[in-house]
Amino acid sequence: MAANNYFGFTHGGTQYGAATAGAAYGGQTGYAVAPAATAATYGTQRAAATGYDTAYQAAAATQAAAHAHAHAAAAAASAYDASKSAYYQQAAAAYPSAAPQPQPAYDTTAKPAYSTPATYAQNNIIIQGGGRAGAGAKAAYGSVYTATTAAASYPAQAYTAPAAQQAKPLYNAATMYVAQQNKTAANTGWKNYNKSGVGAGQARRPKPPPKAQQLHYCDVCRISCAGPQTYKEHLEGQKHKKKEAAAKANSSGGSGAGGRGSGGAALRCELCDVTCTGADAYAAHVRGIKHQKVVKLHTMLGKPIPSTEPTKLSADKEGEKEEDDGEEVQPVGQDYIEEIRGDDGKPQSFNCKLCDCKFNDPNAKEMHMKGRRHRLQYKKKVQPDLEVKVKPSMHQRKLAEAKAQRMLVRDEMWARRRMHEGIEDDERAYWESGAEAWWARGPLPPHMHHHHHGMSMGYGNVGRRPETSDDRHVIARHAEIYPEEQELQQIQRVVSHTEKALKSLSDALAEQAQSKGAAKPQVKVEDKKDDKPEGKEDGRDNQLFSFMGEGEGNNGGSGEANASGTAAAGTVARALKGVMRVGLLAKGLLLRGDKDVRLVVLCHDRPTITLLKRVAADLPQHLHRLKAPNDESKYKVDLLPAEGAVQVSDGTVNVLVSLTSAVMREPAEGGDAKRDDKDVLPRQKCLDALAALRHAKWFQARAASLQSCVIIIRIMRDLCRRIPNWTPLNPYAMELLVSGVMQSAGGALSPGEALRRVMEAVAGGLLLEQGPGLRDPCEKELVDALGNLAPQQREDLTASAQQFLRQIAFRQIHKVLDMEPLPKLKTGGGANSWKFPRKRRRSHTDHDHDTPNGEGKIGRTEEIKAEVADKPAIKK
Amino acid sequence: MKKLQSTSLNFSVLSFRSGVCVFVICVCECVAAISGNLRITTVKNSSIRFIIKGRGMPGRGGMGRPPFNRPRVLMLRPPFDLILAEPAFPRCKPAPDDTALTQALLKRHAELCPTPAEQAAVLSLVTKLQTVLDNLVVAPGDFAACQLEEVRQVGSYKKGTMMACKNVADIVVIMKTLPTKEAVEGLSNKVNEELNKLMRAEGLGNVSSACHERGFTVTAASSAVRVLVTTLHHNLRKLEPEVHLDYKVISSHLAAIRHSRWFEENAHHSSIKVLIRLLRDMCARHSGLEPLTPWMIDLLAHHCIMNNPARQVLPINVAFRRALSLLAGGLFLPGCAGLPDPCEAAHARAHTALDLPAQDHAAATAQTLLRVVARGGHRYVLGLQAFEGGKDISTEITVWDGVVVSPLAPAYNETPEPMDTDEKEDEGPDGVAA
Repeated sequence: MAANNYFGFTHGGTQYGAATAGAAYGGQTGYAVAPAATAATYGTQRAAATGYDTAYQAAAATQAAAHAHAHAAAAAASAYDASKSAYYQQAAAAYPSAAPQPQPAYDTTAKPAYSTPATYAQNNIIIQGGGRAGAGAKAAYGSVYTATTAAASYPAQAYTAPAAQQAKPLYNAATMYVAQQNKTAANTGWKNYNKSGVGAGQARRPKPPPKAQQLHYCDVCRISCAGPQTYKEHLEGQKHKKKEAAAKANSSGGSGAGGRGSGGAALRCELCDVTCTGADAYAAHVRGIKHQKVVKLHTMLGKPIPSTEPTKLSADKEGEKEEDDGEEVQPVGQDYIEEIRGDDGKPQSFNCKLCDCKFNDPNAKEMHMKGRRHRLQYKKKVQPDLEVKVKPSMHQRKLAEAKAQRMLVRDEMWARRRMHEGIEDDERAYWESGAEAWWARGPLPPHMHHHHHGMSMGYGNVGRRPETSDDRHVIARHAEIYPEEQELQQIQRVVSHTEKALKSLSDALAEQAQSKGAAKPQVKVEDKKDDKPEGKEDGRDNQLFSFMGEGEGNNGGSGEANASGTAAAGTVARALKGVMRVGLLAKGLLLRGDKDVRLVVLCHDRPTITLLKRVAADLPQHLHRLKAPNDESKYKVDLLPAEGAVQVSDGTVNVLVSLTSAVMREPAEGGDAKRDDKDVLPRQKCLDALAALRHAKWFQARAASLQSCVIIIRIMRDLCRRIPNWTPLNPYAMELLVSGVMQSAGGALSPGEALRRVMEAVAGGLLLEQGPGLRDPCEKELVDALGNLAPQQREDLTASAQQFLRQIAFRQIHKVLDMEPLPKLKTGGGANSWKFPRKRRRSHTDHDHDTPNGEGKIGRTEEIKAEVADKPAIKK
Repeated sequence: MKKLQSTSLNFSVLSFRSGVCVFVICVCECVAAISGNLRITTVKNSSIRFIIKGRGMPGRGGMGRPPFNRPRVLMLRPPFDLILAEPAFPRCKPAPDDTALTQALLKRHAELCPTPAEQAAVLSLVTKLQTVLDNLVVAPGDFAACQLEEVRQVGSYKKGTMMACKNVADIVVIMKTLPTKEAVEGLSNKVNEELNKLMRAEGLGNVSSACHERGFTVTAASSAVRVLVTTLHHNLRKLEPEVHLDYKVISSHLAAIRHSRWFEENAHHSSIKVLIRLLRDMCARHSGLEPLTPWMIDLLAHHCIMNNPARQVLPINVAFRRALSLLAGGLFLPGCAGLPDPCEAAHARAHTALDLPAQDHAAATAQTLLRVVARGGHRYVLGLQAFEGGKDISTEITVWDGVVVSPLAPAYNETPEPMDTDEKEDEGPDGVAA
């Protein structure tokens, strides 16, 4: 076809598809079909509409120039005629095959109406545009989209006009078809215009009131006006302009919504341009006065009246279907509608419990049960998976989209996070397994798995924890019972003096013995004097304070003999080998008010009463010698043979010095023992003193290194002192108990926790007869350190601990500790206390708050010991 | 692991006194909570660097983790447990002769076991009911009051821990629809109707069905089945108090399903079942222990039998003593880790379902009973012998061979002033305790 040669065709064709093809020259074959079909379909209607068409075209003609301008913006003024003819040609070319009506027919109908061919041409074009658009719409019945595209494509045809002009001769022959096209286009155009309003943007403009018109009908608003004046006013009115703009926007926007696709419009009355949500509503509309009016008007105008069958918009096909189903919606929730019966037993009214509403009419009830609101309530309250039709508006849809988007993002985030956590889990498993191995090898008992599976965290893995109220109470109580600096100093001084006196006594005894056996060279004494400043002055490090000089051998003094080169056989071992602090003093468990401390002197041989007497007799002068010149204190030394000890006292502090010897452990053998028996100190006392030595060593090695242990033992000592039920518990057993409890915790305990755990252990029946007992680690045999506690004592201990435990659990730890409850933390309660680590530090230095740095050495050393003991982690 | 961790912690606390210190604690507590971070501590070998890094990336990997707005990590400790603490307390005297207690336990257990006749009665009712409900699940037909998703047997019947004379089995019905009271009533009527049809067909007596706030109970001549109604998990948030069954009830029924599943997998050993029967019986007879729920007792029994260093099943007498000892030692007291609930989100404690006075009372009762058992009074505690005409031995002063055992006073008292914040967490749900 020749059309193929045209630039315009190729251009437009590619751009606009079939609709454009119709407009372009080459589109003849393709396009011709549509009008033909249209003509066939609407043949009957066209006849009816003829009168109107005429009127309209006449009216439109007056505005022709303006229209030409609008649609052929590209055409220059000089080319106006050409463009006109191009339009002609175009129109003709578009419908070459559709020629059911001869030219004369056209002339008769159209000619009188049009003043000039030119204007007619304009009008023709315009109508053609509308027509084409309408035809498109018609052909794809309900498919508004096509129609809109066709309309939109119209300007493009205008642009191709100059090109078309050159082809003018070719198309002259087709002019005769213009009339036919005109008519067809007009008819179909109007019809479609009425129905869908698509393409109205072009067609609608030419609408000034024709003077000859009797009826003033506004097409956009579908109303008739009483007179030209009102009509004019209407046209200028807000309402009209709005509608017009909306219509224009719809048509030119070409959106899929199809002009009035206000979303879920299901049924539409084409005549009134009213959208109904349902069949019922549509029926109501059709019956309604407004619709009747419009029908009447349209009948008057002779315009086609579409059937009362509702138009279904293609975009809403699904909605329709659903709505159709909706007709068969099963009523739901019958059970939730209760009947309220009147006196006669007939149901008077109904109450829907789900929606909280009432009806008097059974029909209303039925309707309600099918209704959306009720179904929604039913969905919400009874059956969450019930399908209730929702008609999402544009806004809702947008929201839903946004939500979906968010969900997507969130899912992705979670997935990523899960992956991340998975990695973490692996790592954790790795480290935990490592830890398990470590624990199993470690010196402490293996970490107990208290948890069931699923609990991945061990309780033992706690670092520093924030201080609880229990901790604060325990620490405060501890500060109360901890001895004052003065007391400590005094005890320290007395003990130190006693130790030094004992040393000097030991020296004296050794000298005496040596001078008795073999003359001791003078150098020896000097040696000793030199040694002194280097060695310890007393036993304040709680280790054995050995009396021996450096050169002095332990056994038989063979070393000394070798060194001096003199007769070795004659050398006699020191009778008093050394002294060690034991008991409270060594363990650092002194409490306020404690006055009695113990020293144990290790003798070389079995200590005898003679030796004891000697010590008691000589010690005072040695003590006196040590005293500073201005020291007024007076020491008194008492001999306590039954205890196997002497007691040094300065009036307030009593130091019990027991003599013992390692050989006492061995069973006395043969006649040797028999001979000594009378003179030797009581064996049990000596063994006790030895045990005390071991206990002190055990304590320093094991108990003191457990966190909170020393504090809790002090607290427990205080408890045992205060509470009669606890008095039978001997101090060593108590120390064993506490240290065992701490040890079994498998981790550091804060003071409050530690006290609670001790109570838990006792409350759980640890000290009862069935319990395992407390094994004494300082004895080779299995010895129960608890000794023979009477059943009633055990019972009372347990009951008391049980009560204490519950008191601790219910925040009455102050009752257990016998103190006033502490006020709450001022820093906004415990919630903020974690922010202030200084407070925590203070908690550990609390008990020496009255000890300024640099003074009170004894207290300091004591305290540092406790501190270090509390922090085994640092040490390691 | 622990050593490293605490080292870094102490070190940093000592080294810094400024604001960094604050962070140190947080981070290190986080370290405690998330051992994944530990690697950094060890790799860096310097806690300070770790800390500074930690501050630089506050949101590291923790999108959902509350960063530091809830830094107080409350680590609750398990109570002292002698079985687990054995290395610290080696036995230094011969174990007591416990044959008397063992015999008594076994004898009592034999009494507590339901007779075959009882079991058969329950079984037949449960089977029929299950059939009826299954039919409703598969083919609801015209039954529209509710839709059933699933029917499961739970509780003591399922676990095999039923007690004599308590022929009540439990079945949980999961509804697809929301459990309104009307739905429960409808289901109850339907079940009643169908079940009676079945019973008539077999020539058995009628059953009756009565609704209550948990669902409904179907009662036959010598047995009963409680049908506990619940709904799908995602429906839970749609529940409204006035329309539906109570949220707590509904979710407790869901939990019951999880419990029986857990039980099946973990606690099927018959020793555990024996101990559960004994403990349940003991708890039922002593007022203080009554509030303990069957689930707590299940967990306790499982813990007492299974949780020991050797992972071997402990003898029943040891486990029984241990149960008493743990209860007396404050296992179920506030501030104690108690028993973690394996069927709830992490860190939930089983005993938080008890209110505080109940926790106190339960502990006090167990403490008294512990001492009574220690004096040889197990026959009274187990219920083999009625104490002075059915009195509660845990509330009486008793004398055993001259040893006076007296009950303890409650420790809990209502404090008018609000509790200390840090203490409060002890009581609160453990979700906060990371």
